[in-house]
Amino acid sequence: MTMRTWGRLGIIVLAAVLVQVGVLNQIVIGGAHPDVFLLLAISAGLVAGPQRGAVMGFTLGLVADVFVQTPYGLSSLCYVLVAFAVGLAAGMVAARPTFGFQAAAALLGGVGGTLLFAGLGTLIGQPSVPRHQLVVIVAVVSVACVLLANLAYRLLEWAVAVAPGAHHDAGAFAGGSAR
Amino acid sequence: MTASRRNTSQRLTLVILLLASITVITVAYKGEARHVVSSVRNGAGDAVAPVQRGIAAVLHPIGNLFAGMAGYGGALGDNQRLQLEVGQLRRQLIEAGQAQEQLDQLRSDQNLPFADGIPEVLGEVISSPSSNFDLTIEIDRGTSNGVGAGMPVVSGAGLVGSVISAGEHTAIVQLLTDPRSEIGVRFGTGDVAVAVGQGEGDPLQLQDVSETSVTSRGAPVVTSGLDVAAYPAGIPVGTVSSVRHTGGSLTSQVLVTPLVNLLVLQYVAVLQWFPPA
Repeated sequence: MTMRTWGRLGIIVLAAVLVQVGVLNQIVIGGAHPDVFLLLAISAGLVAGPQRGAVMGFTLGLVADVFVQTPYGLSSLCYVLVAFAVGLAAGMVAARPTFGFQAAAALLGGVGGTLLFAGLGTLIGQPSVPRHQLVVIVAVVSVACVLLANLAYRLLEWAVAVAPGAHHDAGAFAGGSAR
Repeated sequence: MTASRRNTSQRLTLVILLLASITVITVAYKGEARHVVSSVRNGAGDAVAPVQRGIAAVLHPIGNLFAGMAGYGGALGDNQRLQLEVGQLRRQLIEAGQAQEQLDQLRSDQNLPFADGIPEVLGEVISSPSSNFDLTIEIDRGTSNGVGAGMPVVSGAGLVGSVISAGEHTAIVQLLTDPRSEIGVRFGTGDVAVAVGQGEGDPLQLQDVSETSVTSRGAPVVTSGLDVAAYPAGIPVGTVSSVRHTGGSLTSQVLVTPLVNLLVLQYVAVLQWFPPA
């Protein structure tokens, strides 16, 4: 990735920090709030494919973990896996992901990423979240991801500056054709 | 051939990133790196605090609206400071009632300190938990205001939690409902137990309550202040919401509803009190 790409990603991450800590953290529904960093990791996988998406997910996780009290690095671990998985799925689509595909990826990524975070957190000694609360968190995070999916996709597309239809490296790993 | 090389490259990248993540988690878990992470987090909290404060002032009503939509807000007062004062009166009532019943016993048996007279630092909540998986809030008071890790935090009605990390201008408060929170409490006719958080919106659970303990729904629960407790004695925690005696067991299951509505906090007071060494 070029310096320009990293520069643009830096702007997006800075904006994400302000949006998350300033706005989204205040919008608490049933004890849960949206997670813009997870959404960006999902979008990174969609836009940049599994390899570069995972790198971006790792970076996003390191930044996100500065603003939470959960174990440092846990978000990185989750975002790497989520971005990679989404990137693989996107590789099966020949053209630029449609709005529906973006929404589906955001939904599944939101559900999977949240459950992954909860599961891995429990594995490394974090207290487990009550099941009913976990359901609320998954619902709030995944719905917010769907609502903001297209905006995040466009932002990441701008950052990576990919031409429509030729936007990632996913196909080969997924068994599809290499573009 | 190209596809195979790409597959290998992708797999290698994934493995490297996973190992890097696990290494970060391990290194940051303890030792010097943990302090570095804590310092970075405090610094970042201080850096974004002005933005949070400004946006929080605008968005608190919106946050309250969402909380209300979820069924927690009820009829929220427009003036949070008045709510604080009303809560303080409730706290005094409970404290008075509890004190009348147990004053002699506490003084003679334990010689416990009381929360009254402890200096307070009033702070505003500038952020709800940043993660959905930790029950903390951020306040706009830090070490420069005399706030330090370990200090109890109260609201008008009672205990909110304790400071777990303090930057220069902000501090992170772990709420008493956090599953990592353990509070020594006194209830009933002087029985003591440990109240453990069970998560957002759930009551606290008292651990190891003897079946012979006498308590009932609505009974007040206050901090015990015993031994090396993390809280001074006499801070109202909540009221007993459920007592269940299970057949064949020597213990009872007692649940406690916190007095403070933790979802709509705006102002809190940090007690400048440190746990005894």
